[in-house]
Amino acid sequence: MIRAAALACVLAAVPLWAAAHQMIVFASVDCEAVTVEAKFSNGNAVQQADVRVLDGANVLLTTVPIETDGTATVLLDSVDHSTGLVIEVDTGTHDNYWIVTPEDIAKNCQS
Amino acid sequence: MIRLPKLNVAVGLLLLSAGASLAQDRPSIVTVNYALQYFAERLVGDAAEVVFPVPQGVDPSFWRPSIADISEIQSADLILLNGAGFATWVDQVTLPRSKTVNTSAAIEEQFIVTESITHSHGDGGEHSHEGLATYIWLDPTLAVAQAEAIAAALDARQIAPLDVIGSELETLRADLIALDDEAKTALAAVQGVAIIATHPRYQYFARRYDLSMSSLEWEAGAIPTEVQLANLEVLVRDTGAQIMVWEAEPPIEAFEATAALGLRNVVFPPFANAVGDKNPLQTFSDAVSALSNAMAN
Repeated sequence: MIRAAALACVLAAVPLWAAAHQMIVFASVDCEAVTVEAKFSNGNAVQQADVRVLDGANVLLTTVPIETDGTATVLLDSVDHSTGLVIEVDTGTHDNYWIVTPEDIAKNCQS
Repeated sequence: MIRLPKLNVAVGLLLLSAGASLAQDRPSIVTVNYALQYFAERLVGDAAEVVFPVPQGVDPSFWRPSIADISEIQSADLILLNGAGFATWVDQVTLPRSKTVNTSAAIEEQFIVTESITHSHGDGGEHSHEGLATYIWLDPTLAVAQAEAIAAALDARQIAPLDVIGSELETLRADLIALDDEAKTALAAVQGVAIIATHPRYQYFARRYDLSMSSLEWEAGAIPTEVQLANLEVLVRDTGAQIMVWEAEPPIEAFEATAALGLRNVVFPPFANAVGDKNPLQTFSDAVSALSNAMAN
């Protein structure tokens, strides 16, 4: 990779997204639950955050705290997942999301 | 009133139905920006439907799709990514690996690393992140590599075999090389002239044509604030900049404010999104001419 020192970006202000996009959120799903994992880009687990679960119409279904290992579990029985789920993780200074489609749920439930 | 024979009407309806069915049966290709959509359409013609799902006016780098959008994308026959971290949403969803192609995978060694941003959160202490410049296609020679990657993906997935689209690829490659030659000639007079861009979009363009370009973080097409103008004035003084490049045309007051600082204004839409009726090659050519003319006038 070529370091473009000559192309220095002069940032008038640090954009909000620049700080916000450095938390990585991942969610996997099986027949029973969505397992959420959140970590910072340096590899450290997110230890304090709210995990919001929304449906396909962006209606908030539930909010759960994240565990100290950076994971959270959302039981499928506890939410209406027929239109898919948006998992948002918010630490207060960082936020990011993962989208679980109905097809993701169906596919992973079959396997 | 014209009376059509019943048989003809039936045949007509049948043909219409067949046409609709054909349209539905075409493979679908999803792209993450307009440049890739244009390249794919040039290559595949009517043999597939090429969809760029980001709404007009939304920055495709930071588009947040709905669940329904992702369901549609997951069902596509081919998903063309730009790579270099462009389109943050691609890392927030499950994409079928067998259908997903990173069009810049072969040119990663040519990526430009951008400035790091230092900040802190929680107990992690202060740290910094480096990013990559993402508007790869603004270097036409890299755009050729992306077009070649698309052609290979179309062939590998049997959407359009290379022996059929080979001539389209050759034409597109020739168009991009011609554009590169045009830019090299036209921008020779701009080398050594300090340029300021309203947004960090043009790193690959600047490197390709040896331009001295600094970037701001102004909102596209908006009037700059007093603070932004004050910072710009300092930057103009420090760099001796003579040209201001805007990614979208702002209100006239914005042009007047930067002109008052001695800057010549040039609009260069980087065609991550479609702008008007111009295709990316026309947009690029017009921007190159405008940059060249800015120094000639």
